Amino acid sequence: MIPLNTRSHYSFMWGTGSIKSLCRRAKALGYDRIALTDTDNLCGMWQFIRACRRSSLTPVIGAEITDPHTSHRAVCLVKDHIGYRNLARLITRRHTDKGFSLKTDLPGLAHGLTVLTKNPDLLLFWHENGVDLAVNLTRHPLSRHHPLSVTARHLDIPMVATPGSFFLNPEDAKIHRMLRAIDRNTCLSRLTPVDAAPDTAFLASPHAYREKFAIQRSAIHNTHVLGEKLNFQGPDFGIVMPPLKGKTTACTAEKILYEKTLAGAKIRYGEILTHRVIQRIHHELAIIRQKNFCEYFLVVQRIVKRASRICGRGSGAASIVAYCLGITNVCPIKHNLYFERFLNPERTDPPDIDIDFAWDERDDILDWVLDEFRGHAAMVSSHILFQPRMAVRETARVFGLPEMEIGKVSKRLPWFWRINEAPDDLLNRIRVRPEFRFMDFPQPWPDIMAYAQAIIGTPRTLSVHPGGIVITPGPINTYVPVQTAPKGVPIIQWDKDGAEAAGLVKIDLLGNRSLGVIRDSIESVRQSSGKFDDFNTLDPEDDHDTRQTVAQGHTMGCFYIESPAMRLLQKKTRVGDFEHLVIHSSIIRPAANTFIQDYIQRLHTGVWKPIHPLLESVLDETFGIMVFQEDVSRVAVKVAGFTHAAADGLRKIISKKDRETELADYHDRFEQGALAKGVRPADVKVIWDMIASFSGYSFCKPHSASYARVSFQAAYLKTHYPAQFMAAVISNQGGFYSTFAYVSEARRLKVKILAPDVNLSGIQWKGENLRLRVGLMAIRDLSAKTMAAIVEQRRSKKFTDLEDFFARVNPRENEARALIQSGSLDTLDRSNNRAGLLWSLAAWQNKKKTADRQPSLFDPIASGPGIPDLPAENTVERLRREFFVLGFLCNCHPILLFKEILQEFNTVKAIHLPRFINKKVIFAGWLITGKVVKTRHGDPMKFLTFEDETGIVETVFFPKPYALFCHMLDYGKPYLIYGKPDSNWGAVTLVVEKTRSVPSLPGRSTG
Amino acid sequence: MDRSIIHLNIADFAAAVETNLAPALQGYPFIIAPLGAPRAVVYDMSDEAYQQGVRKGMPLSRATRLNRKIRLLPPRFNRYEQVMKDLLKESLAFTPLIESGTLDGHIFMDVTGSERLFGPSADVAFKLKKAFKRSFNFDPIWSVATNKLVAKVATRIVKPVGEVIVPPGNEQDFLAPLPIHLIPGLIKTDLTRLAEFNLFFVSQARTLTLDQLRGAFHQRAGLIYNRIRGLDPTPIQTLRKSGSPLKAEHEFVDDTNELGLLRSALYGLVEKICRALRNQNRLWTAAKIVLSYSDGLQRTTALKLSPPVSTDMAAFKSCLVLLDRAWTRRVRIRHMRLICERSGPAQIQATLFSQDTKATKQTTLMRTMDMIRSRFGNNAITPALTLEGEKRAS
Repeated sequence: MIPLNTRSHYSFMWGTGSIKSLCRRAKALGYDRIALTDTDNLCGMWQFIRACRRSSLTPVIGAEITDPHTSHRAVCLVKDHIGYRNLARLITRRHTDKGFSLKTDLPGLAHGLTVLTKNPDLLLFWHENGVDLAVNLTRHPLSRHHPLSVTARHLDIPMVATPGSFFLNPEDAKIHRMLRAIDRNTCLSRLTPVDAAPDTAFLASPHAYREKFAIQRSAIHNTHVLGEKLNFQGPDFGIVMPPLKGKTTACTAEKILYEKTLAGAKIRYGEILTHRVIQRIHHELAIIRQKNFCEYFLVVQRIVKRASRICGRGSGAASIVAYCLGITNVCPIKHNLYFERFLNPERTDPPDIDIDFAWDERDDILDWVLDEFRGHAAMVSSHILFQPRMAVRETARVFGLPEMEIGKVSKRLPWFWRINEAPDDLLNRIRVRPEFRFMDFPQPWPDIMAYAQAIIGTPRTLSVHPGGIVITPGPINTYVPVQTAPKGVPIIQWDKDGAEAAGLVKIDLLGNRSLGVIRDSIESVRQSSGKFDDFNTLDPEDDHDTRQTVAQGHTMGCFYIESPAMRLLQKKTRVGDFEHLVIHSSIIRPAANTFIQDYIQRLHTGVWKPIHPLLESVLDETFGIMVFQEDVSRVAVKVAGFTHAAADGLRKIISKKDRETELADYHDRFEQGALAKGVRPADVKVIWDMIASFSGYSFCKPHSASYARVSFQAAYLKTHYPAQFMAAVISNQGGFYSTFAYVSEARRLKVKILAPDVNLSGIQWKGENLRLRVGLMAIRDLSAKTMAAIVEQRRSKKFTDLEDFFARVNPRENEARALIQSGSLDTLDRSNNRAGLLWSLAAWQNKKKTADRQPSLFDPIASGPGIPDLPAENTVERLRREFFVLGFLCNCHPILLFKEILQEFNTVKAIHLPRFINKKVIFAGWLITGKVVKTRHGDPMKFLTFEDETGIVETVFFPKPYALFCHMLDYGKPYLIYGKPDSNWGAVTLVVEKTRSVPSLPGRSTG
Repeated sequence: MDRSIIHLNIADFAAAVETNLAPALQGYPFIIAPLGAPRAVVYDMSDEAYQQGVRKGMPLSRATRLNRKIRLLPPRFNRYEQVMKDLLKESLAFTPLIESGTLDGHIFMDVTGSERLFGPSADVAFKLKKAFKRSFNFDPIWSVATNKLVAKVATRIVKPVGEVIVPPGNEQDFLAPLPIHLIPGLIKTDLTRLAEFNLFFVSQARTLTLDQLRGAFHQRAGLIYNRIRGLDPTPIQTLRKSGSPLKAEHEFVDDTNELGLLRSALYGLVEKICRALRNQNRLWTAAKIVLSYSDGLQRTTALKLSPPVSTDMAAFKSCLVLLDRAWTRRVRIRHMRLICERSGPAQIQATLFSQDTKATKQTTLMRTMDMIRSRFGNNAITPALTLEGEKRAS
């Protein structure tokens, strides 16, 4: 028996078993050949091929195709390369052609395929059209008199026995039903028979099928005969490069690249090129030619030409060719970047060039590429899997729990629990977590957790990769099935790993908010002062004041160096030059804490010695500490005698998930190699630990240098044009901190915050001359349409009073209320009482309703009685509402409202904390950001950032206080922090002992 | 002529009944809620439990977390119903104009015309209070005013013990200093809007004219205007006058979204209504179902029953359609109410010849079941469909 119709969990929301477990199970049951026929996709094909190889199974490639308009379905099994291309096209058509009909579309693309069906009509029709057919007997034999049997006999078509499986074991049926209930948006008891597969749809043993088909043995025999004929084990495309348009035999890609590089070099380095530059260009071009990458560079260059500003990231930034073509912005010669990290003759896998664009320009660039290479380009997909949080949420919904109850549990699940890290016993592990200490888990929570556990890691849907795009020389749907993502772009069914396995070279076009920030800041400065004709020619890294900003860690809002960890590192190192920033932005890695301390010490003292003499000169630049990705490869070559290819393999595997087996192999090889070179076992361990600290994410030096350039540009603008810069940071959104925190930062930079005003504010924030006008976008609930209407109406004439505003803009009730409460309409009313504005709003709405219901020939909205004399506003209540709609206060830091309450606690201000090192203090601060980490022993602890009106305070909640207080910490309110300030190389942090909320301000109903 | 309305309010009625039945509970915190159900909610609690933060409708698991040792009692609705009936009986001695809620310990009495018989209204209230104390060991809050609104506000401000007399003509002065949220009849949106206008007290809101109120509150203006002035002309809704439609309801001890349990509960409700209709010799012509989800949302749908029915099976078939239409969300259902919106007279003229149809068979079966139940009690015979619900409940 050969299972010719099995489904993995890539049969989205139908199948339950992963591809790995499917292959393992098949092998355990005694199969030696298996077909994966997921429904309407080849998403798991490369995983399947790899898993079969590991389990010593022979893969059969195929898919089940369904008809979206009827119940027709067919299993297509690939016989050869033509069949594969046809199957990819058929699946593409299934997903992209609204009028797709399986019955009529399949025959034209059936060449090279064997098609299994159990529909007598389809059998007859396809037979007449010359399709290679077999009858699909799923799970049980068929009576001789069944119409299908009769038709098959009549047409002499073989009948084959298949498992038609959706899950691996009988007990998985309930998980299958859970997935179906999630998919159907219903509860388990309301699933109908057509909504789910029967409980028998599991993968049984060959023996079980032999018994089931004992009365129709020919079916098993036919299965073997057919299975043995299906020898196609996956496509082999080689490396698939994007094609260049406009090349001819006379004007080859190589020639074009050479010419463009030289022209670019003259712009970058001046008309007369130095020997060093020319030599480097020639060296790189030789390798690029050898690796056949010329067209790739030229295609990327065509793409980047269309953007206002870009940041080439990744190892590609080490290339002078890329620098000359304008793909990257750092000079590899000036910053000593090695081209071989990007491309070398030994490298077998295709490197990719990643480019950042301003976030709001990125989609236009993508659209252009997709349009320019129509039919040959598509975005890479992301396979969205059930993560623990989503699994708990969706399962609880099927169990019918209200959203609020679900939210209480799911929001407390640790964010760092990803698929591979979710513990086996979800419920018991959750119970002991400090965040859940005041929660019970009555039924059905134990059941929910058990189900959630089972579906974690199951693919839910295909989504668009953040920026990966592939361009193929031939039609892309002959390489891989393509479908359309909900946002309308074509996506291939493989994720980035699948694309890489297939040899499709990916170009990453990513959105970057900071490029938007820099662009907008420059534009704002240019408009007001006419400066910055060409900002790119400026070298911000040479500006003294900017270096001071960076060295002091005053970099909130600056790209990549604004996180608390990075700012603290800057404060501790007290250096603000480019070369050190490149090191710093790379050494900040999740697992590199101990090395950071060593680094700071060595930086300040200048005293260090290499772990082993072999490492002398390898890590001199970084004081003997491995900082960049390429350091891993270089150390492996030097210490353990790895080849460059093997060392590169180690570098790659270390940052991958699901790598345990391979990494263990590398460790053994490294250990043996190092011992053979005479390194002591203790030193081998120290070096390996340093290598292991590159797990998770890490950067190569070209990437860090490329980012550091953007960081410096941002820091320069912040230093010299704080109002314009902060306006751009807030307007472009998506920074590390909330608007609240950026507003406070602006205030600390002596920038005055001006309240929103319908007659003065734009949609975006506007900064000029140390004044920052709040943009309409800051107001909660205000739609883009209303914002646009306000700006548009104002252009012709300013708003004179409330009635004028309401009549011309016609906002919805919640929008008008938000505008009033934010203070945007204060200037239209002189009473200084927003209650009066709200009264006018209510009156205007009532009149409008009446006018809508009873249209009148005369003035539809005649004025009624005026605004009554309403009681004066309670200041606290007014500010509370303002805070609610804006998320910050325009006139002051909200902690100042608690001034009287805080007096009795004798609190210390942020700015004075350095005076109290190692002394007990109470600090009153507003929580602005935080990060949970795990200690070496696996206990959770938290770094939280608080602020008051004088400054920012980084605090540390070690595991014990974290366990006690984590459940009560929330954003948007003040806390009293009890602890001791600690100084580390001059950077002060507050080590927390306990915390509590600041007592509330007087109640609302006190008038 | 000014009316005399008495409002008697036995605070935490179910808890008070339980304390009477077991005096040892006096002074201790306890909760009344269905036991053994993991997702039950608090039905009522003693004042001591209230002081500890327990509230009606709170999930029981959360309530017990506030005090792990708190005592839990299962609700005994038949007891509460009986006590309520006894209280009304005692009250009826003074006036036939009595209005009460369902098992909530609230009684409104209009004693305007009975002064000559029983003395001033305050005396009547005092007598009743003493009678309640003597006969049932209850200590109700009482108030006397010229209308239900003022009487209710009066008991609200003295809860959990006390008495208030608001003399005729003093209503406005009495209400003036009070926070506006104490006024019954004002909905949440009214209160939110009043707060936005910085109007937190009755006296502040009363400075507005009706015209001004209309400007901001439109159709609600009249009601607000009257309420903040203590004007409430609504009469006492006596039990006999209220011609409410037939209805039956089911509270799921553990909220559920299981089809089997919902069907089972629905059948129970259909049985109750159909039996009442058969007793009145009427047929069910229009039905309405109200589903209350666990998150507080409600969904109502109605259906015309054609042809009209009075047998459980036929009515259940139509009500299943009704349930399917109303059950549009996955969220668990806590409460189900089935209402007989309209009914018509049953066909009186019998057919000349006997017809052995399904309908006649069902009618015969129903008649037989009704006879068995009337003789041996409601539980003497049970349809299998309702067993699932009972089994789960037990």
